[in-house]
Amino acid sequence: MFENRAIGLALVLPAAIFAAALFLLPVGILLSEAFRTDTGWSVSAYGEFFASSRNQTVFFRTLKLASLVAGVSAVVGYAAAFAIVNLPASSRGRMFGLVTLPLMISPVARTYAWLVILGRTGFVNKFLVDLGITDTPLRILFTETAVFIGLLQLFLPLMIISLVSAMENMPRDAVPAARILGANWLQVFWRVILPLTREGLVIGGTLVFTGSMTAYITPAILGGSKVLMLETLLYQRVTVANDFVSASVIAMILITMSFSANLLLKRLATARKSR
Amino acid sequence: MNSRLSTWIILGLTLTFLIGPFLIIIAAALSAGNNLAFPPQGLSLKWFIKVFEVESFRASFGVSMFLAIFGTLAALVLGVPAAYAMTRYRVPGAETVKLIVSSPIIVPGIIVGLALLQYFVIPIGAGIGPALFLAHTALILPYAVRVVSASMENLRVDMEEAALLLGCTRFGAFRRVVLPNIRGGLLAAFILGFVTSFNQVPVSLFLSGPGLRTLPIDMIAYMEINYDPSVAALSALLAFMSVGIVFAAERFIGLSRYV
Repeated sequence: MFENRAIGLALVLPAAIFAAALFLLPVGILLSEAFRTDTGWSVSAYGEFFASSRNQTVFFRTLKLASLVAGVSAVVGYAAAFAIVNLPASSRGRMFGLVTLPLMISPVARTYAWLVILGRTGFVNKFLVDLGITDTPLRILFTETAVFIGLLQLFLPLMIISLVSAMENMPRDAVPAARILGANWLQVFWRVILPLTREGLVIGGTLVFTGSMTAYITPAILGGSKVLMLETLLYQRVTVANDFVSASVIAMILITMSFSANLLLKRLATARKSR
Repeated sequence: MNSRLSTWIILGLTLTFLIGPFLIIIAAALSAGNNLAFPPQGLSLKWFIKVFEVESFRASFGVSMFLAIFGTLAALVLGVPAAYAMTRYRVPGAETVKLIVSSPIIVPGIIVGLALLQYFVIPIGAGIGPALFLAHTALILPYAVRVVSASMENLRVDMEEAALLLGCTRFGAFRRVVLPNIRGGLLAAFILGFVTSFNQVPVSLFLSGPGLRTLPIDMIAYMEINYDPSVAALSALLAFMSVGIVFAAERFIGLSRYV
C-alpha cells in the first residue's frame, strides 16, 4: 500500500469524472424531469402516472412476470443445480459450461429463436395441429406466456450458476447424512439444502428478478405493443408521444429496483467476507 | 426412483430448453425456402451467403465491431489506472468512487441512452456517433475496473516495492512489473468488454439513426419487415463467434478465473 493520496486520486479521477459526467449527470437530469413543473417542484407526476390504468397494468405485469420468472427459475434451478453438483467430476465442468453457454450469445439471437418456435406457423403450433389437439394455430406470440418463456430462457442460467456455487460450498455429507437418518427428499430439501444454499438463492433470485424487470429485447420482440413491460412502455412513451415525464417516472422505478438489489447483493458479499 | 436416471432426465430437459432453440435456429437458417420455418423446407446455405450481401448488415457489423474494440480499449485506458489506484493507494472517498464507476451497471441501458441523447447530444449539438461510443465505453468501464482490480489484488505489492528499491521509477515499475503480470486479467477484461458491448441493445436504442446502427439493432429492424431466414443465419453466425471467442479465451488464459 502506497501512502501518497494525491497520486491515487489523480489516477482514479479520469474514470470517476467520465462516469459522473456521462452517467450520473444526464441520468440525474432525466430523473428530475418528473419533479419539475412550471411553478416549482412537485411529486404530482407520480400520482398522474399511476392514475392511468394502462400504466398500472404495465407496472403490475412487469412485477408479476419478473417474480414468476424468478420463482420458476428457482424451482428449475434447484433441480438442475443439484443434478450438476452430483455428476462425476469429469462431466460436471462440461455440463456447467453447456448451461452457461447461452449467456455468451446475443440476446437478440436467443429471443429470435422463440419466433421460430412459438409463431403461428411455428414449430409448436405445427405440432399441436398435426396431433389434432387444436384445429387453428394458437396465438402464443405477443402474449405474456411468450414473454415469460423468453425471459426464463434468458435468465435461468444465472440462477443455476448461483445455486451450483452455493451447493458446492455445502458440506459434502450433509445430504447423505440426512437421508441415512431417515429424512425423505422433501425434508432434505427444506431442512438441509434450502438453509445451506439460502445465500445462493437470494443472489440468483435478485439477478433474475432485476434482469427480467429491466429486460428490453424480450418483451419488445415476443410481447410487442400488446404485452408492454416497463422498458418497452418507456420506449413507446418517448418515441410515440415525446412524454419525458412518464419516462422519468419509469426510470426512477427501474433504477430504485436495481439499486436496492445491488445494495442487497453487496451486503451479502461483505457479510460473507467477514465470516 | 433411480437417482442417476432422474439426474439425466432433469439435465436433458434443462439443456433442451436452454440450447434447443439454437439448434432450431441453425436448422431454420439452413432452409432452402423463403420463409422462416422449422423443420426447414429443403437444405441450402443460401441464407448464410445472403447475410454477407445485405448492405445494412455489413455497415452495422462494422459499427458494432468498432464500438466493441475501441470502446473496450478506451474503457481500459480509463479503468486500469483507476483499478491500480484503488488496489495500491489509500484513495480518499474510495467507496464513492467505486460507486460512481460501477453506476453504469446499476442503471438500465435504455435509460442511459435516453439521458445521453436528451441532455448531452441535443444540448451540445454533438453527433450521435461519439455519444454512442462514449455510452459503450461507460458501459464497459465497470467490468474493466472490476476484472483488472481482481488481478491486481492477486499481485503482491512487494514485487513493485522491490523494483522501486532497485531504482525503478513508479511508472517504470508499473510498466515492467505490474503490466506483464496482469496480462491475463487485461485480456479477460477485453474479452468480457467486447462481448458485452457487441451484444448490447438497450443503450444503443436511442442513440441510433438511419445510417448509424449497431448490428443487434439492425437485426431487430430487419426482422420487423422481413420474415426470411437471414436473421436466423446471422444469429447462428454470431452465436458461433461469441462462443468461439469465449472458448478460445478459456482454453488459453482460463477466462473463468478472472470473471
